[in-house]
Amino acid sequence: MELKISPELHEQVLATREWGQTEVRPAGLEADRNAAPLPPEHPYFRKFIDSGRAKARAEGGDAPEGRMLRGVILGEEGAYWDRGMGVASPGAGFPSGAVNAGGTEEQKERFLGMFRDLATPMWASFALTEPGGGSDTAAFKTRAVRTDKGWVLNGAKCFIGNAARAEWILVQATLDPAKGRAGQRSFFVENGMPGLTGMRIEKKMGLRAYESVSFSLEDCEIPAENILGGETRKERAEGTGSSAYGATMASLNTARVGVAASALGVARAALDEARRFASESGSVRHSRVRDQIERVVRKLRAARLATLKAAWLVDQRRGNIIESSMAKIASAEIAQEAGMLGMEIVGLEAGAGDELIEKLFRDAKALNIVEGTGQIQRVIIARQLVGLPR
Amino acid sequence: MTKGDRMDFGVRDDDQLILDSLTGFAAEQLRPNLRAFEAARGVAPAVSATFGEMGFERLELPEQLGGAGLGMVTRVLTNIALAGADAGAALALDRLGPALYVLAAFGGESALERFAAPMLERPGARAVLIVDHQDRRISAGDRISGRNSWAPTDRADLVVGLGPSSAWVLEGPGRVEPVPGAALHAAGASRVAFEGNLAAAWTDATAAAAALAKVRLYVAALMVGVMEDAAEFSRDYAQGRLAFGQPIAHHQGLAFVIVDMFTAVAQARLLVEDAARRIEAGDDAVQASAAAFVECVEASRFVGPNGVQILGGHGFMRDYPVEKAMRDMRALGLMAGGLHRARDEAASHPDALSEAFAGVA
Repeated sequence: MELKISPELHEQVLATREWGQTEVRPAGLEADRNAAPLPPEHPYFRKFIDSGRAKARAEGGDAPEGRMLRGVILGEEGAYWDRGMGVASPGAGFPSGAVNAGGTEEQKERFLGMFRDLATPMWASFALTEPGGGSDTAAFKTRAVRTDKGWVLNGAKCFIGNAARAEWILVQATLDPAKGRAGQRSFFVENGMPGLTGMRIEKKMGLRAYESVSFSLEDCEIPAENILGGETRKERAEGTGSSAYGATMASLNTARVGVAASALGVARAALDEARRFASESGSVRHSRVRDQIERVVRKLRAARLATLKAAWLVDQRRGNIIESSMAKIASAEIAQEAGMLGMEIVGLEAGAGDELIEKLFRDAKALNIVEGTGQIQRVIIARQLVGLPR
Repeated sequence: MTKGDRMDFGVRDDDQLILDSLTGFAAEQLRPNLRAFEAARGVAPAVSATFGEMGFERLELPEQLGGAGLGMVTRVLTNIALAGADAGAALALDRLGPALYVLAAFGGESALERFAAPMLERPGARAVLIVDHQDRRISAGDRISGRNSWAPTDRADLVVGLGPSSAWVLEGPGRVEPVPGAALHAAGASRVAFEGNLAAAWTDATAAAAALAKVRLYVAALMVGVMEDAAEFSRDYAQGRLAFGQPIAHHQGLAFVIVDMFTAVAQARLLVEDAARRIEAGDDAVQASAAAFVECVEASRFVGPNGVQILGGHGFMRDYPVEKAMRDMRALGLMAGGLHRARDEAASHPDALSEAFAGVA
């Protein structure tokens, strides 16, 4: 095992830290106090673009060596200052990975090109979760039906990040419910398309800095070319799916690793708050408090190692199904625990609701839910370890 | 990564060669004799001789003393592999054991040459490490006497003591009084009474901390090996055993326990390997080693009982190895100064670095 980073990456961590301290945390606290995401015209987003961060994100499409490890290290640092603001960042964000991996060249140009040199803040969105199914993606009900003119979508989506402000939403829908996941495809639904309706920004316990949106698709007509990968993609995908490379890629999980990195950042922020209060109040001298802090330091270190290992496996193009789920479980659970402990240590001051730890405590809970709950992660691991039936 | 980053969770080629050889030895010579060695309270001399001939007794001894000069990472990997077969045998076979770290930290190569190398030349001789919670105010030549309650050994040819800031060496056999023993019987189980004039004594708090860090990792790695074995054995059993028309592993109540066992072991292993890496890199690893030890003990208290639980009544019977694993890992957790002291030291560095990386290349 070796864990050394270059001075260059260290500089990037320090730059992320400085940006986080001066810009991200104040913006996140503002959104939290307002109990609403910052509006798209908020100066923070302009600063984000002017700082070159949107451009850096857009250029992350390829997979240079060590990209995932780098993403974990910078992701933790970013989330330390505000995990919600990270999700709220302008750019193609989350769906860009799917478009880069599965889109046609024309689609990459048309839907990602607009993000390359952002002049004004813009967002894209990825819509998977439905009101009747979160983790059970195979049971999704949103339907796509081919017509003479293109596709007609009907259904409902919920908890979708940045959807109300997005230029386009990549919507997961099924062509044939009987086929389960195999019958599903993704569709670009553009802002303002008729039938994209009922946008509702949810009121959340935490992570208030970004929009979580519910919306409906009511006979939403989209052009034929808006199906991700084009209409012939399925055949091509099946052709490559049997190759060793395709099989390896299918066993790589990056999204869970990314959320694990975020959880590490939230956990570390909560730990630092807990330690600061314990030190200032003198309660750290009590072994009961001290030992609980020790436990969080230790579990956080183990979770970080697990996350770095899962990322290293991605960069090595090696399977990481078990490792990424273990990292997600460990990171999310320690974030939760650090938040809970911080509340305990800060005490009634935390109960007053204006301390950072109180926000972190609320934020942390989401990380054990998004990108597969802790229970779903255990199901995923159990399928690998003991062949748990689907 | 950017150019110059060095991140690697793999096993070094040299270590892999050693592990391949050691794993084969453990599978052929140790595991099939698990209960025989336990009953005999010792490893068959022929097996011990083979282990020595393969060079495994001298992995960490300097090359000048006929050793391989390998470091802490190699040690934790080999201890995990050996304990996966039988932790008691692992202790019995490594006759110098973690006493080596005390000799090296305080007395350097000359102490190893004076005490360690000659001991290994004597067939069957064993070193015993006594971890004291208080320093003894003594010097070389002073008379010392004492007794410890339990050590997994049947001989005490060299007795090495480690206090919070001191160490001492007593040559000549300590008196071993066999005790029933809770676990690790292949290594023996004795009270060790020692009395005599000290061959060496040192005071150096930094050396003591560094030595104890290694002792903890030595024992923690054995715990990881036993835990991995218990998790895998009970997992395999749960896949073959049917209840209510399906493998018991497919009942989610058990499936999740198995997942949590594997996760606990993986986390413990990462902390042990990371602390060993820090030691090899020359970083301060006192806090990290103490934390790794605490994590192993906590994990063992979850993995051990659940390994038995998954097998139900069969797990309680000596026909299966999981009851032994539960006892072995619990007993290992009592060694190296124990849990409470390790937790004290892990917690006494509240500002332990919580960065996302160990350092800059």
